[in-house]
Amino acid sequence: MALLETRQLSKNFGGLRAIADLDISVETGSIHGLIGPNGSGKSTFFNLVTGIYWAERGSTVIFGGRDITSLPSHRIGAMGIARTFQLLRLFQEMSVLENVMVGHHMHVPYGLFTTILNSGHVERRDAVIREEMMDLLSFIGLADYADMPASELSGGQRRLLSLGRAMAMKPRLLMLDEPAAGLSPVNVDRLLDIIMRLKDRYGLTILIVEHILKVVMETCSTVTVLDYGRKIGEGTPATVKDDPAVIEACLGQEMNDDEVRAMLHEGASSGR
Amino acid sequence: MRDGLQATALSVASMFSDGVGKLNRIHRLVPWLVVFVLLLPVPQLVTIGLSDYYVYLINKICIFILLTVGLNIVKGFCGQVTVGHVGLYAIGAVSSTLLSIHLGLSFWVSFPLGVLLAGLAGIVVGLPSVRLEGAYLALATLRLGESVRIMIAVTPFLGSSTGLMLIPSPEIMGFVFDSFQSYYYLVMTAALVGLYLSFSLLRSATGRAFMAIREDVIAAGVHGIDVPRHKLLAFVISALYAGAAGALFAHMPPGYIHHNNFIIIEMVTLLLMVVLGGIGHIWGGVIGAIVVTVIYDQTLEYYFCQPLMFGLSMVLLVMFMPQGIGGVIDRSISTRRFIALRQRREAAEGQDHGAA
Ligand SMILES: Nc1ncnc2c1ncn2[C@@H]1O[C@H](COP(=O)(O)OP(=O)(O)OP(=O)(O)O)[C@@H](O)[C@H]1O
Ligand SMILES: [Mg+2]
Repeated sequence: MALLETRQLSKNFGGLRAIADLDISVETGSIHGLIGPNGSGKSTFFNLVTGIYWAERGSTVIFGGRDITSLPSHRIGAMGIARTFQLLRLFQEMSVLENVMVGHHMHVPYGLFTTILNSGHVERRDAVIREEMMDLLSFIGLADYADMPASELSGGQRRLLSLGRAMAMKPRLLMLDEPAAGLSPVNVDRLLDIIMRLKDRYGLTILIVEHILKVVMETCSTVTVLDYGRKIGEGTPATVKDDPAVIEACLGQEMNDDEVRAMLHEGASSGR
Repeated sequence: MRDGLQATALSVASMFSDGVGKLNRIHRLVPWLVVFVLLLPVPQLVTIGLSDYYVYLINKICIFILLTVGLNIVKGFCGQVTVGHVGLYAIGAVSSTLLSIHLGLSFWVSFPLGVLLAGLAGIVVGLPSVRLEGAYLALATLRLGESVRIMIAVTPFLGSSTGLMLIPSPEIMGFVFDSFQSYYYLVMTAALVGLYLSFSLLRSATGRAFMAIREDVIAAGVHGIDVPRHKLLAFVISALYAGAAGALFAHMPPGYIHHNNFIIIEMVTLLLMVVLGGIGHIWGGVIGAIVVTVIYDQTLEYYFCQPLMFGLSMVLLVMFMPQGIGGVIDRSISTRRFIALRQRREAAEGQDHGAA
């Protein structure tokens, strides 16, 4: 059964068709890859699904059997979609712990009136939340940095934190926008390990955008290939890899993994 | 005997485990009560060496503290620009005044109503924040704030050029707050309660949501925070603070308000307090309120260049000490902690080397 499904999804920026009539279906419990060259519309797709951009008329996004096309971001988040951002968008001046606590926001068991009238209650509830979030931080290996401002973390730690913040939402679908960009090969493996363990532990469905082919090949059960906002291929990693149209669009010419990675490293570091 | 002890121990333990609500709350309030008691004799102490006027000045500081707390919530924590704050202050002042003069309502009724009206006006001031950002939001709120003042200035019913006078003093069980000294107890209590409530609010999930919006609106929304609702909430809460400050100002002896109390210069003064204290530092706002009020008072004879002076110091502050006093203190604490950490680590390493 499909957990997330888009039909005729489109988005124009002025004259540019960033996403064009895209039908994608993400199966429950799968790890679904989304690949394509720079500017092919992968991040735009994420932004459409999570309510950051308005989709063009005629588009439909269905999540868990419900139409979420025109819902605002926070409602989509509350329905169980979490995501990370290509450029992370951490809450820089807040501590690592506070960052994940914000991710947990919609599960907070007290309202505004309690906050004002009974701060003792709030403090006790927050202590419980804090403990739970510290567990999560240990899980991703950031417990030691809990009180540090997010801005003082290293690049790799920041990526982990953005993952932890998304996980604090306890989502059903986790959407990762280039989670491994800029990581050293060792850390890529570590991140993959963490993602797989999170998936097993929480029964997640994962949609992942990634340029590092190794990640896609090793983890995904299905891969969708985008080019100029259109789907140009779909299937298991093995079939997609050998599809001439995909090779043409993604690589232009044959490139090995290292070259691709080197190219993307530059892109990632200049983006930050 | 033994059983009795055990029972006592058990009851104490249960008090700590789940009947703790009350105990905890008392516990938390203790430092505030201590401060309250310590602040009680201030007017007596001040008037030993100085005139009553300085008690008036302290009262004004308390009122300004309420304003800075409110402004800090919306600006420092939620990251929304507003320059319309004096307008809300004016609404609190004028509405409480009119309710007590024309309807004969007691201060204890007109005050909350004035606060409530300012809160409602806060929704109006906050609405542009849902769509606008930065300079545009500043302009929108500025215009709203100024239009309140202009309306007061041109409407005889609201005081126009003569102002509203003979505003009744608050009274409780025969005790009338009609002197600077007695009014001090009212504004000091209000300032402390305002501070206490702001800490409860900002430490909670709501406070974290505000900060998340300040740091990154888009990420905040994606993580389940209803951004428009929280922005409006921040505006309304800060409006409630401004309204309370305004109403307290109006009923303070000599019980007179004039639209000049609400001009944009007052807003600059207020902003200066918050920026000097450190945006996002509630205690910084308190320090800012004290420092700026004292400086303002000491330079009254140069009133003609005060706006220029304050504007200039604001620019200089933003350029050279944007984090304000609160930020500098924060930084020095964290730097010291960092240095201590490193020294400890170096010491540990030194021992390792010694052993090797
Ligand atoms: N806010 C925007 N306004 C205008 N054009 C945009 C906007 N966002 C994206 N685009 C355009 O839409 C196209 C798709 O961009 P998108 O960011 O989705 O690509 P991507 O596949 O994520 O690329 P990359 O691999 O580099 O991250 C690009 O041509 C980009 O210029
Ligand atoms: Mg992208």
